Amino acid sequence: MTTDNLTSNDILKTAESLRWQIGREFHDRLMEDIYTDAARLADRAVTRPDEKPRFDLDRAIDRIVTSRTWGFPMMILLFTLVFWLTITGANYPSQFLASILIDTMVPILHNLANAIGLPWWISGLLIDGMYLATAWVVSVMLPPMAIFFPLFTLLEDFGYLPRVAFNLDNIFHKSGAHGKQALSMMMGFGCNAAGVVATRVIDSPRERLIAIITNNFALCNGRWPTQILIATVFIGGLVPAYLAGIISALAVVGIAVLGVLLSFVVSWSLSRTVLRGEVSTFSLELPPYRPPQVLRTIYTSLIDRTIYVLWRAVMFALPAGAAIWLIANITIGGTSLAEYLINFLNPLGILIGLNGVILLAYVVAIPANEIVIPTVLMLTVLMTGVNGGAGAGVMFNAQSTSDYMSLFTAGGWTLLTAVNLMLFSLIHNPCSTTIYTIYKETGSKKWTAVAALLPLAMGFIITFFVAQIWRLFAG
Amino acid sequence: MPDPLIALSIATGLLGLTAVLFWPERGLWARWQHARHLNERVQSEDALKHIYKCEMKGRRPTLESIAGVIHASLDNTAELLSAMETNKFVSTLDGDIHLTPAGREAALHIIRAHRLWEHYLAEETGFEEAEWHGRAERLEHALTPEQVDELASQLGNPIYDPHGDPIPTASGQLISHGGQPLTKLPLGTPGRIVHLEDEPAIVYAQLVAEGLYPGMPVRIIEISSERVRFWANGDEHLLAPMLAANISVVAEPVTAEQETEEPLSPDSDTLNRLPIGAYAEVLGIANKCRGAERRRFMDLGILPGTKIKAEMRSPSGDPTAYIIRDALIALRQEQASLIRIRKPQAEAQR
Repeated sequence: MTTDNLTSNDILKTAESLRWQIGREFHDRLMEDIYTDAARLADRAVTRPDEKPRFDLDRAIDRIVTSRTWGFPMMILLFTLVFWLTITGANYPSQFLASILIDTMVPILHNLANAIGLPWWISGLLIDGMYLATAWVVSVMLPPMAIFFPLFTLLEDFGYLPRVAFNLDNIFHKSGAHGKQALSMMMGFGCNAAGVVATRVIDSPRERLIAIITNNFALCNGRWPTQILIATVFIGGLVPAYLAGIISALAVVGIAVLGVLLSFVVSWSLSRTVLRGEVSTFSLELPPYRPPQVLRTIYTSLIDRTIYVLWRAVMFALPAGAAIWLIANITIGGTSLAEYLINFLNPLGILIGLNGVILLAYVVAIPANEIVIPTVLMLTVLMTGVNGGAGAGVMFNAQSTSDYMSLFTAGGWTLLTAVNLMLFSLIHNPCSTTIYTIYKETGSKKWTAVAALLPLAMGFIITFFVAQIWRLFAG
Repeated sequence: MPDPLIALSIATGLLGLTAVLFWPERGLWARWQHARHLNERVQSEDALKHIYKCEMKGRRPTLESIAGVIHASLDNTAELLSAMETNKFVSTLDGDIHLTPAGREAALHIIRAHRLWEHYLAEETGFEEAEWHGRAERLEHALTPEQVDELASQLGNPIYDPHGDPIPTASGQLISHGGQPLTKLPLGTPGRIVHLEDEPAIVYAQLVAEGLYPGMPVRIIEISSERVRFWANGDEHLLAPMLAANISVVAEPVTAEQETEEPLSPDSDTLNRLPIGAYAEVLGIANKCRGAERRRFMDLGILPGTKIKAEMRSPSGDPTAYIIRDALIALRQEQASLIRIRKPQAEAQR
């Protein structure tokens, strides 16, 4: 037998020469054959009603929601309805929560603190700082999310959202993104952290990263109040009273639309630069429609999304509240820390058409966009000494449009400040809850840094150019 | 407050400077990175590769041809060659430039690294075909033999690179792809593309733009000194003979390959051309579709024999939803064009 004389070397040699003969792509071929065999076995074993057409109702609905005529109008109508319900519906519970958590509870807590003889700085730090910031975040954040998320989840559960992705995919495709980014973007209008989590439905790594990084350009629920307030006070004030409402609403919508456009532009450039080599695949399953399970949906959307996001926000709001109170109350040589910081930030703020107060508010409000305006008001009072504040380090909201206007005027605000604040509120780093969520979702420090710093840099550049060009023409 | 005009011009200048420095591919940073690679070792490795390829094709490498490949002057090239001779990589004893065994081994290592990296780019990343070669050209010099071996085993020891070139084994074995230029294929004989020459890059980009790839069935319709007209995968293509000669084909042999990549037949088509409402049977997935995308298709159950119906098209025109194994799946146009089907008429006849 010759085989006895074969050494391992001979075998290796034979193998090496044989491997050229097995043909191209044999791995693929092998895999395909295994799949095909499995499919054949399944087809033989599973009996199904012969050539049953897709369930007719599904088809009828699909014909309408993806039709050339009705597809887009229906989509716009539905989402307008969702946003309208959220914004108007959240107003009353928000006021109610604020009146209980802030107007009622804060005096009670102060009395309690006095009764047990807490030093002023402990009660100040705990109540005026940490408690107040948290109460603020909860009362602004909770009601819209408790309305928006269940509504959105109902649409998702019904099977409509994948059709939206189907309708819009072409636009997203052109900017190098996935149609399902439409969904995470919508979710981002509720909360960017939830939007980032929602990108899990995108299974292609590159498109998912794009969706995560650009989610911040969806104007989130914490920033709507800022936009609406500034637009009402400044933009609405430009036109006759009967037009004020509509013009300021248009200004806010304009900002939101600008955000959507920016997310397309950023998606486009990301997919062509830093994300070029990432793996990209596309497939979009359109599941059958089914009656939404209303109660279960409300329950899970409250637990999974609302409470989850709220919890994280509270965890970040507590230290933020403490920091705000501390910088306003720690004084060095008779000047508070906040004043030092504001004077330090002022030149940069003025350069980009804002001011030191706003920049400092954005620094301390990294944990939650909701507290930007209360912080701005508190710091303005601290700096200018005008009457109206509730004390150093205590955040507050003014009572009426004219109260806001007089405070802002005292702080030296102009129309340019307002416009740039609206722009900067849209284009700056995501809140710390979102940044943390991005880190958890991507598991990468690099992409987290890109997601945080890219919008910040864009915000500085855009507001800078707006401010300089404005000054060039407005003198 | 600074004067707005001055501030604007300073900022614009700074932005412009950043763009000049960091613009992808063309910025100074990218160029500097690129230039760093053009050192002597890289040049000598490129020269080795060139001489090896010339020997394989039976051409004579010259000082001029080497200088052209490594982008250097004739003087510098001569200097480089004499250094290589000192290192016993080449010999020029009989007036011609030859590789020594050590030189051949070094050249094969570079080629192996290059082709493996191209395979990696094709399978595991989202870079476009036209970019594979350039990227591999840069990385081939950076990989050590150990890294190359590791890469090979990670990729499952592939045999061919995505252009159809065989990848040398670790012990330096290499066969040729065995094709002939498309221009030599007799009229009407069915053939199959086995290789697309990836150099020069401009020519390769044109072949890619035509949608050609190794494994594609072809048939010549017309051939003249001005143009080559041929069918490939159900489409008519027209190329200058210079371009067509960069395509290598084999006359269609009867092999197992026919099962998945059926020979050219008049009733084969691609899925993107299936009209809404029509049924078709899948013949296979194009060889061009690789890596994650191919696995995704198989996961969805797009396999030879699967029946697919085009159900509806997005109002914005692009993704089309297909019924695949009772599920409604939307695929983009460019993806559907990778799935070969039997034409719906054939379906109706049965």
